[in-house]
Amino acid sequence: MSLWLRSALLLLLIALAGWWLTGATRSTADELPLHTGDVTSGERVFWAGGCASCHASPVDGKRARGEDKLLLGGGLELDTPYGLFRVPNISPHDQDGIGAWSTLDFVNAMRHGVSPRGKHYYPSFPYTSYARMPIEDLIDLEAYLKTLPAVDGRIANHELGFPWSIRRGLGLWKRLYLDDAPVADIDVSNSELVLGQMLVEGAGHCGECHTPRNRLGAMLSDRWLGGAPNPEGKGRIPNITPGSENLAGWSARDLEYYFESGFTPEFDTVGGTMVAVQENLAMLSAEDRAAITAYLKAIPPVE
Amino acid sequence: MLKTIGAFALSLCLLAGLTAANAAGDPIEKRHELMEDVGEAAKPIGLMMRGDSDYDWDVVLTSLKTFDSVSHEFGDLFPEGSETGGNTEAAPAIWTDREGFDEALAMWREATGEAIAAEPQTLDAARPSLGGVFKTCKNCHDGYRIEDE
Ligand code: HEC
Ligand code: HEC
Ligand code: HEC
Repeated sequence: MSLWLRSALLLLLIALAGWWLTGATRSTADELPLHTGDVTSGERVFWAGGCASCHASPVDGKRARGEDKLLLGGGLELDTPYGLFRVPNISPHDQDGIGAWSTLDFVNAMRHGVSPRGKHYYPSFPYTSYARMPIEDLIDLEAYLKTLPAVDGRIANHELGFPWSIRRGLGLWKRLYLDDAPVADIDVSNSELVLGQMLVEGAGHCGECHTPRNRLGAMLSDRWLGGAPNPEGKGRIPNITPGSENLAGWSARDLEYYFESGFTPEFDTVGGTMVAVQENLAMLSAEDRAAITAYLKAIPPVE
Repeated sequence: MLKTIGAFALSLCLLAGLTAANAAGDPIEKRHELMEDVGEAAKPIGLMMRGDSDYDWDVVLTSLKTFDSVSHEFGDLFPEGSETGGNTEAAPAIWTDREGFDEALAMWREATGEAIAAEPQTLDAARPSLGGVFKTCKNCHDGYRIEDE
């Protein structure tokens, strides 16, 4: 074989490997469990997952409140170091939203960060956490989303700088960092902790804000929930492990009450981006909030 | 000896006088103080609502009176020039949307007034009106307070 032919072949191999490495992993229809979507359970998953915090259309430039949280027309802008993301319409509108999607399409978006046409989603959509949600929960959630009003209007594209603008490159990132395995080592014989882990590490996506990231934007698992710089500006997002100086003085009751009411033990109110999270947690049952609390008390402390 | 004590007492008085003047003169300092008082006053009510202490209307009333008096003073503490500094968490919206801020203040005062007038004698009877008061705290913080630790 001539040198030329050999180099050409090598290049082709590299290109193929690159294509494969950046390609999309997806579930197939036969991987879906036999499960009929349950709307009531789906509503709980919806609040646990905080979908409204990003997808509810802002009202007069402010975040949606009350009933407006159920109008998932998108349009919120997320200003990040990578560029400007515009949150899409996920209302059940056939053209502008996800009304025409199959259950499998929805599961693939949530677990694998892949669109129905096989494109990668950016992790500004926190599927890096949602990948840990049980598939049954996703099917319930889809059933619930279908009951919400359809909202008109397609949202414009993101404005991202090169190379972030190339979706294909995310395939490699996902191979490195998308992992549906549980993060914290907990006592799996304790059902309350298992529920807490599912809610915090999966739907609740608490780590997306409370865990610091490396330069490529992946969460540092050895500093899980240990506090992080605030992407939205000044200050830090607090450490919520038992190693936090502030939370050391909070009893389990204090934490549960904070999640339920938004008041700290000093009767100051919750602030910043946690306000919307707390409003969602207030919609859950007392048992769910107790499980989240038990998990936070049980994970390894980060100093 | 007496002289030294006298001088010491005098300087203490001076010092106390100075800090008092300072607090009265610095609206940011005063804002913090008043809201800390409000937080302190909210605590016993919150503990009752959580079921961690027994319901006691007299204690609730004392707290509500604190809310009422602060709600009358608080609005005067945001003169031009006190937008920043002193670790203030007052949001720029207080100055750009004064009407909305005054409305948030009025909602708090009204909810407090209603709770006082209702004189609820049991926790269950008190829940709606006290919950209503707490909602107005969050409503104002949500729009007119920034959180920068
Ligand atoms: C932190 C903000 C955020 C939260 C919370 C969030 N999303 Fe999203 N979501 C996004 C962004 C940004 C995109 C666009 C991603 C892209 O274009 O690559 C997106 C995309 C999607 C898509 C794909 C839409 C399309 O048109 O292709 C679906 C489906 C979706 N999200 C569902 C959900 C559900 C269900 C929840 C709650 C469990 C949720 N999202 C929570 C930010 C969020
Ligand atoms: C969108 C980002 C975001 C997400 C998601 C998020 N948090 Fe937070 N969290 C914050 C911010 C910001 C604060 C600071 C709030 C403040 O300053 O009042 C906070 C504060 C807290 C606190 C109080 C800590 C303290 O020391 O005051 C607890 C507890 C907490 N979060 C738990 C959670 C849990 C549990 C979840 C998941 C269900 C979660 N958070 C998800 C941003 C977030
Ligand atoms: C009309 C608006 C408004 C209402 C109503 C209100 N607050 Fe505040 N609160 C503020 C502002 C503004 C600040 C920040 C002041 C500053 O830093 O200059 C604040 C600060 C605080 C603080 C932090 C104090 C500090 O400076 O350390 C606490 C605690 C607090 N509020 C509790 C409450 C409680 C409890 C209620 C209801 C019973 C309440 N607030 C009602 C506007 C309000």
